[in-house]
Amino acid sequence: MIKKKSNRLAVSIVILFGFTLFFIGTDGFQAYTVETARINKLMKENPVFPDVTLEDSKERVYPFTAFEGKYVMITFIYTECTDVCLELEMNMAQVYNNIPDKYIGEDIVFLSISFDPERDDPATLEKYRFYFNSDGETWRMARIQDQVELDHLLDEFGVIVIPDNNGNFQHNSAFYLVDPNGILVEVMDYTEIEAATEKVISILETEEGE
Amino acid sequence: MKQAAYGLVLYIFLMLPPVTALAESIMAIHMHMQMPLFVIAGMLMTPFFQKKFPNLFSKWNSNGIPGIILFMIIVLYWMLPRTMDEALTIPAVEIFKFVSLPFLAGVPLRDSWKKLETRVKNIIYISLSAIFGFMAWLYIASPNQLCNNYLIVEQKTLGWGFVFLAACIFIYFIQTLFIDETEYE
Repeated sequence: MIKKKSNRLAVSIVILFGFTLFFIGTDGFQAYTVETARINKLMKENPVFPDVTLEDSKERVYPFTAFEGKYVMITFIYTECTDVCLELEMNMAQVYNNIPDKYIGEDIVFLSISFDPERDDPATLEKYRFYFNSDGETWRMARIQDQVELDHLLDEFGVIVIPDNNGNFQHNSAFYLVDPNGILVEVMDYTEIEAATEKVISILETEEGE
Repeated sequence: MKQAAYGLVLYIFLMLPPVTALAESIMAIHMHMQMPLFVIAGMLMTPFFQKKFPNLFSKWNSNGIPGIILFMIIVLYWMLPRTMDEALTIPAVEIFKFVSLPFLAGVPLRDSWKKLETRVKNIIYISLSAIFGFMAWLYIASPNQLCNNYLIVEQKTLGWGFVFLAACIFIYFIQTLFIDETEYE
């Protein structure tokens, strides 16, 4: 009888332990992968876009603060990529096309940042932007030449880039929206084009109303 | 007690930095080799703990149920994509892996198994193969990269490892239904 009781107590303790373990391990049953946890955390922390120097496809060199006062929609890519980046940029193009013209360039700028500065020189980026009808002005493609600055940015925004042996990279992808003060405000699923478009438009509309 | 010594040697060997680095560099080896080996190290060390703390096991795990539930919880926990990733990036999680797999999964499994009724053992066989089957489907079918530290190709390899495990456990379970082991002892 006593044994039965201690067994029951032990079962309850073990289950309680398991519940706590899973609760803590998944941020309260919210995030079962590091990627979800990362996005949840980014949206909570809202990091500031670090001070980096960009070089775009038109060989212009400027700091990120050049975009101050405008929202910036960002993706991280490399041009030799044969799978995810193409889809990512195709989807970015659709978001770009779905946003009313009056906002484009005025209130929001699109920016694709390459994390492969060695191969993605301005000429390569210039060629790449044509595939997606990017005008190179309101949707720019740029690289960050300084590896330290680049790594710092990737780290702040939780972009994980793993080189493989064939000159390719495995990397996570998303749409990042930075507000006019350079603060990261949204990380959006790049496969949900409509949801991302609606979100961006609603943010731009509230901004306009103010 | 010789077993416990072997278990300790295996345990220490698995924690050597070059060994962990190698084992964790490949996803399938991380989950299907390193983690089970930690559980095995714990199982080997069980007699030592049973002798040292006889009351703990006989009082709190007399029918084997608490132990086997603890085992299942720990195994499930380490199958989450997130914990695998975090073991690589957060030292505390890595240490928890080194502690939980041998002592909270291996030890209770060995202590519980003999005490369990056949009915419960059957439930464990079936749920383990079902869980492994689900994990196989998850890791093979997922179009997304589940672990940021591992490539999608590795993820699929891991998934096929789960298919193999699920099948093995299920086949073993089926044979227990038809073959009476006591006849051969």
